[in-house]
Amino acid sequence: MIGRIKTQTSEASQFVVDWMEHRTGIVTMLEHFLYEPVPKRGAWLYTLGSAVLFTITLQFLTGILLLFYYAPTTDDAWNSVEYIMTDAYFGQLIRGIHYWSANFLMAFIGLHMGQVFFSGGYKAPRELNWIVGVILLLLVVGLSFTGYLLRWDQDGFWASVVGMKIGSYSPFVGGYVIHFLLGGDAVGPATLSRFFALHVWLLPATIAPLIGAHLYLLRRHGVFGSEFEYTDRIAKLHERQRLEEYVRYEADEDEGEPYVGRRDRADREGYERDGE
Amino acid sequence: MAELQKDPITRSDFLGFGVMGAIVGAILTIPPVAFVLSPVIKTDLLGESDVGSGWQEVGPVSEVLAEEPSHFKVEFPLQQLYGERAIQKKYPGSEKSDMKYTLSNAIWVSWKAPIKLQGRQGSSGDVVGKPERPAFLDQKSEGFTDSERKEIMSRLNVLSNSCAHLGCPVRWFTDEQLYLCPCHGGLYDINGGWVGGPPPRGMYRYTDAEVRENGKLYVRHKYDIEPGLEAQEPYVV
Repeated sequence: MIGRIKTQTSEASQFVVDWMEHRTGIVTMLEHFLYEPVPKRGAWLYTLGSAVLFTITLQFLTGILLLFYYAPTTDDAWNSVEYIMTDAYFGQLIRGIHYWSANFLMAFIGLHMGQVFFSGGYKAPRELNWIVGVILLLLVVGLSFTGYLLRWDQDGFWASVVGMKIGSYSPFVGGYVIHFLLGGDAVGPATLSRFFALHVWLLPATIAPLIGAHLYLLRRHGVFGSEFEYTDRIAKLHERQRLEEYVRYEADEDEGEPYVGRRDRADREGYERDGE
Repeated sequence: MAELQKDPITRSDFLGFGVMGAIVGAILTIPPVAFVLSPVIKTDLLGESDVGSGWQEVGPVSEVLAEEPSHFKVEFPLQQLYGERAIQKKYPGSEKSDMKYTLSNAIWVSWKAPIKLQGRQGSSGDVVGKPERPAFLDQKSEGFTDSERKEIMSRLNVLSNSCAHLGCPVRWFTDEQLYLCPCHGGLYDINGGWVGGPPPRGMYRYTDAEVRENGKLYVRHKYDIEPGLEAQEPYVV
């Protein structure tokens, strides 16, 4: 009984997967993005980039949740944060995750950069990924800076004041940049509105496609080793998967191989030829 | 020329595209850029300020003691976004008033201490004596004559509490007889002169300050910023 349900479920899900694959090619794409053989030695170091991706995803998710209660006006900003912290269900948890994952994000970025730097991962042909990464770092610093003021408490307020005064010493453009950020020539309602706009729209909207580019470039060249080595290992992985599939179909003697399965395999073989 | 021209575009077409491109480009770019940069245009090109330029009451000068500076809180009206006066006047029935959106400034007021030995910025502070409080303040606290008011103003330090380094609020420490900035350890003497730490100059002084007949000090939101040093403007105070 349970065995039959199991078989039916797996068949149904396989059908959905095949249906999607033939119309979008998403399964092959995900395979290419998710399955990457890495050497056993130092494998944990390769998770640092994923840790950064995970924390920044948390930032997006908890940030969206916080927006349901936060009010970006000088009268209400602090009070709305107080409401989140005291009255909203799980408010402390959501804001705590936003706060702590922001801190850990910076730490992970530092470690990730260190790992790429010391392993020489920025060298040809991966220079552009390093450059995109540095832009991402600057955007995250901008997000940290603008997020600090939104609490509108003494801590965030004076930290932002000090940060802006540091920026104001920049030659030539310092004054203009600060007047742009302040929204005038004094900290006030305009400053809070601007930091809010930067923090929840401009910077996230800039950072999201750049994260995509960062991941695309990563997969184009692989995390480690030469491109040849990478495609070689992918080919071996597919060979193993094909053998497993073959064994599965051999065991299933009642029915012939369905059309989708044949198409699927043909697609993959074609892809493999292209890859080599 | 003609044989090099592979693209069959005429001069008038080219000119037309150029003119149209300029017009469409301007329509697409100028409004959003001006929208976002309007504070920069108002502040830097038109020289407007969000902070009200009127006189604000600080407090009675007779309360300022000889031994240590007194601090007063002053609220300058702030004209920014929904704090704009025109918007607040439109709805007089609401609680919003001119003084609802303000820039709170703490002002340190003290009597000048004579400088016995001039210090040098970056190496040593001034050697100062005891602050000198006018003797007639013990008898009366208001109704000063013109000469008395002149004497008070010549002896008074009216200082912004914003550190000249990065704008944190400084505080007077009685034991050390110094102003100390909590952020990066800037030190100033009772006259606001530089004593130690990272600040590139002494504390900002209010240039527009006056004592009136009622014995109270009034200031306007103006500081002794040297020309050409806009970057050191105490934006936030």
